[in-house]
Amino acid sequence: MAKIESISHSGINVVDLKEAEEFYASIFGGLIAHRINFNTDDAQSGRAVHSDIALNDWLFAMCLPRGELPMPPDEQLRGTNGFRHGFHITREAFGQLIGRLQRQEVPFEGPRAHPDNSPLGESVYFKDPGGNFLEVCWRRDVVRGGVALDAG
Amino acid sequence: MTHASEGQTVGAHGGENAVTSDLEGFGFSHMILEVGDLDRSEQWYRDVVGLDVLGRGLMAEERPHSVLRMNSGQLLVLMEVESPEPRRHNSQTIHHAFWLTPDQYRSAQERFSADGIDISDERASFRAKGEFSMDAWDPDNHHWQVQTQGPEATEIIKPGVGVVECGPSEQFAVGSVTPFGKGNFFLIRNDEGFLALSRWCRHRNGLLINQKEHWQFFCHFHGATYNYDGDHTSHLRGVGPLRMNPVAITPEGIVTVDTDVVLERQEDEPPRFTPAGVGARLDGGTHGQDRIDQP
Repeated sequence: MAKIESISHSGINVVDLKEAEEFYASIFGGLIAHRINFNTDDAQSGRAVHSDIALNDWLFAMCLPRGELPMPPDEQLRGTNGFRHGFHITREAFGQLIGRLQRQEVPFEGPRAHPDNSPLGESVYFKDPGGNFLEVCWRRDVVRGGVALDAG
Repeated sequence: MTHASEGQTVGAHGGENAVTSDLEGFGFSHMILEVGDLDRSEQWYRDVVGLDVLGRGLMAEERPHSVLRMNSGQLLVLMEVESPEPRRHNSQTIHHAFWLTPDQYRSAQERFSADGIDISDERASFRAKGEFSMDAWDPDNHHWQVQTQGPEATEIIKPGVGVVECGPSEQFAVGSVTPFGKGNFFLIRNDEGFLALSRWCRHRNGLLINQKEHWQFFCHFHGATYNYDGDHTSHLRGVGPLRMNPVAITPEGIVTVDTDVVLERQEDEPPRFTPAGVGARLDGGTHGQDRIDQP
C-alpha cells in the first residue's frame, strides 16, 4: 500500500493559451475549468496568467512562460522536457485516438508495445503546440483514477 | 472550443472524478520524470514520498527507468538521463501535485520534516479553508506540491457574533448589496425585501467578494461565482446555493441578521426574502427554508 493516493495536476508552460486550450479540447475533450488573471481581482491577488483545463481526473494549469520557450525539434515526437505526461484510454478507444490524431494532422510516433510484464500495453507519443511531450496508452491493469484539483 | 458550463461534469474542483473526455476510459496514467541518479531518486520517492516500487525496465523506454505506483494505480516513472532538466529555460510555475488523504498528509509531514524538507506552504494565501499543501523538491529539483483537504473546507462556519444590527431599513436602497464584515454576510435589498447571504463559498469555504461590475459574488480561490440570489453560476460541479442567515425587521424598523442561525436551500428552490415591512422576519432551522412570518 503506497502512502500517496494519486497525482492530481501539473503546471506546464505553453506559448499560446488559446491554441493550447483548443488542442486539449479537440484531442482529449478537455474543458476549461478556470481562467486566472484575466480580470482585475485575479491580477490583484498576484497569480500568474493561466488556464486550467480539466481532463477527467486530471488538470493542467497552463501558464505562459517568462520568455521564449525552447522547443524540441519538429521531428522529435517522443521525449521529455524534464517530464512527460501519460494518459490511458481503453484498448478499444486506442484506435479512435490514432484516427483523431491523423485527421487533425498531429504527428505521432507509435504505437509501440511495452514489455509483456508492463502495466502498459501500447503507447503513442506526440506533443502539444507548446512542445510538451504526451503519451497515450492502454493499460493491462486497472487504474481507478485520482482527484484532480486546482493548481492553486 | 467548449467551455464548461453548469450541469457539465468538471470534477476538478468538486472532489469527484468527472467525465470531460469522449475517449472511453480516459484518465491520467503516468508521469515520466528525468532523474540523474536512478538509485538515489528511487530511494527518495520510495522512502520519503511513500510510493510503491513496481520494478525496473517495465516500459518501452531505452533508458534505464524505475516504475513506482500510487494507490490510484497511477504510475511515476523515473528515467535516468545524463543531465536532467526539470523545467525548460524561461518556464515558470512548473510543478506537479500529489494528492493524499488527511491521514496520509500528516504522516507525510513527519517523513518530510525528518528528511529536512520545509513543510510550509509557499502559496498559503491562495488556499481556501481546509486546503493543505506543502512544497517539496526532489533530488533533481522537480517541484512537487503535496496536498490534501480537511473537513474545514466544507463545514458550516458561524462567526459567533449573534444578531447583527444592520441599520434602519430605509437606509438600504432597492438593488443594494451591502457587505458586513461582522458576521461575514451580504445584505441584499431588492423589491422583494431583504436577504442575508453568507460570504463563505459553498465550494471550499473561500471568502467571497462582490464583483459589482459583474453583478455577482466571486471566490478567487477556484473561481466560483454566484448571482445576487445566491445561486451558484460558475463552471464548478456540485456546488450549492449560498447559505443564508435569517433577516428580521424590528418594530423600530431596524434590519437585523441572526448569524447564529444558518439556512440552506436546494438548487431548485428560490430564496425567500424577508419583506421590508416593520416587524417582518424569516424563521428557519439549520436546514431548509422555513416560513416567512409577517405581522
